[in-house]
Amino acid sequence: MTARNRLYINFFNPSTRRMRAEVSAARTVLFIWALLSFGIPTLIWLAGLGDPAGLGESFLTEARFLGFPLHYWLIAQGCTVGYVLLCKLFCILWERWAVHPKEPSGSVESE
Amino acid sequence: MSKYLRNLSLALAIVLTGAGATFAAGEEIYQVEQGFKLIPALIMVALLCVYIGVGFLSKVSETSGYWVAGRGIGKFGNGAAIASDWMSAASFMGVAGLLYLRGWFGLGYIIGWTGGYVLLLCLIATQLRRFGKYTIPEFLGDRYDSHGVRLIAASVTVLIAITYSTAQFKGIGLICGWIFGMSYTGSIFFGAGVVCAYMLLSGMTGVTRNQQIQYVVLISAFLIPLWVLIKKAGGTGILPQLEYGAIISDMMNGKVASGVLTGEDLERVRRTYLPWGMGDFYHFIALVFTLMVGTAGLPHIMIRFYTVKNEDTARKSVLWGLFFIGLLYWSSPVYAAMGKFWNPLGGKPVADVIILSAPERADLGIGFIGYLASGALAAGLSTVAGLLVAGASAMAHDWYSTVFKPDCTDQESLFVGRIFTALLCLIVVIAALNPPALIAQIVAMAFAIAGNTIFPVVVLGIWYSGSNKYGALAGMSFGLLMSLLAMVGWIAGAPFFSDSGILPATSSALIVCPLSFLINIVVSNAMAGKVSERAAGRGDNILRKMHNLPGHIEDEGH
Repeated sequence: MTARNRLYINFFNPSTRRMRAEVSAARTVLFIWALLSFGIPTLIWLAGLGDPAGLGESFLTEARFLGFPLHYWLIAQGCTVGYVLLCKLFCILWERWAVHPKEPSGSVESE
Repeated sequence: MSKYLRNLSLALAIVLTGAGATFAAGEEIYQVEQGFKLIPALIMVALLCVYIGVGFLSKVSETSGYWVAGRGIGKFGNGAAIASDWMSAASFMGVAGLLYLRGWFGLGYIIGWTGGYVLLLCLIATQLRRFGKYTIPEFLGDRYDSHGVRLIAASVTVLIAITYSTAQFKGIGLICGWIFGMSYTGSIFFGAGVVCAYMLLSGMTGVTRNQQIQYVVLISAFLIPLWVLIKKAGGTGILPQLEYGAIISDMMNGKVASGVLTGEDLERVRRTYLPWGMGDFYHFIALVFTLMVGTAGLPHIMIRFYTVKNEDTARKSVLWGLFFIGLLYWSSPVYAAMGKFWNPLGGKPVADVIILSAPERADLGIGFIGYLASGALAAGLSTVAGLLVAGASAMAHDWYSTVFKPDCTDQESLFVGRIFTALLCLIVVIAALNPPALIAQIVAMAFAIAGNTIFPVVVLGIWYSGSNKYGALAGMSFGLLMSLLAMVGWIAGAPFFSDSGILPATSSALIVCPLSFLINIVVSNAMAGKVSERAAGRGDNILRKMHNLPGHIEDEGH
């Protein structure tokens, strides 16, 4: 094998159809994961910037959801339940995009 | 005198929860009796017999059986094993206390420790199963074709296994001591005997089967008191995990069990539940990020994917594992809120005994307390077992039979594996007998080490063909050194590395982990010309296997 023939694999530039499907599933799920993990705390932070005491009081801490203060529920249950559902979503997307793709799957493309 | 003993045992219970030790004074919402307790002892002995019996019945004689359970474990079984591996004595006992003290901010631990599994699933689990060998150091060593990478990974694995197990052994020792009335030293040896017996008898099949039983014991012991407790706090007792929300909302308005709080007391309780009352935005994000990449980078969790039938099961077992872990983390905040409701202004001593005191408060009787203690013991045992397997396999498999003596037989490798398991157990026992004061903090930092060292090199190893051994060595060394530097700086009291500093030792990955990725990529590209054809070919071969690409050659032989 010469240097020119080296395999090329890059998460941001998947080379084969199968890998594109797998990476798409991962990207979709990771995007939502990032929204949950970092988006929600950021939202709570932005909303709470107006609190002069610096404790982050805002409409999110005033609002109630299922009896919880909303900011508490979003992290304690919104995020964690979200993660379990994301794992399920990943399994579904994987089946749908990578294992049984709709388009007729031709031969594996060249690398 | 008895009061002194009681306070002392409260202080000892602190170790279970993974926090520093202070003697409790007052605030006795819970009393720990001394001496031998017959009913809890019978319950515990019965469960121990079950664990060892299961280990003995699934005795193995092949190497692959010892390390990876013969690859026959299904998605529920492996999910339960992942969850049981994960739930240490510390997360069983400690998370509720943490949430009691740190309120909303403490939720960062919960999302950190669950969100990490999403990363693991999306980026690592499937590909590792396709690679299909035994250990993480083996994967890294083969992928980068470098014994240096292999040995750093093995050392980090052993380091994590030892620090983690030491804390677990302390917990196991304390529980045995409480039930059987043994001295701390005696109960450490007792616990070590139990762990060694079933690991050596059975290998991982037994360990995995045991972990399923242990999961059932620990989660049922954890959940049952909640229904009684929530009724006592004025709930309907249908689904405590939803009902405690109203209690938190009331507490933010000052309503607690003893009446209505006002003035400074009310302010203290409100602070606990407001977002930035216990820590700021940066430290929340840094904590969450570190715990996530740390979780996804823990070798003893990753090797779980080798033990399943196929890659489909690997994915589904993450889903089930996370659900089983979720059951615990949806319930821990309920205990914390109950504790706050009855004792809104308590400090560490109250936080530390929240779980142990719960059955007492719920009037569930001494038998149930024995069951709960057995659950905590199961949590400790299963985590230690998983860690020791990961640690011993790093030494026996990755060092002895790969680097030191590549032509050894299966039998020999299995024998060496058992020796190393016993040896690691011995090291951990010695460490647990004379625990370094900072062990709990060091355990917390194991996440930073895993996230800074192992996670980047594994992800790039799978997803970036340009990454080579020079980049891997540079990235891993940087991650490990920075983690250790942060630890030393933290212990020495440098403000930069303190809990409110810029690079807190327990949350260092937000800065260090991305840098470790970057260094790996930059160095790999700079040194691309130096990689030998053979090394590049072998790395490519593994990548083909992990991504199901054509052209993979089975067993190139090494």
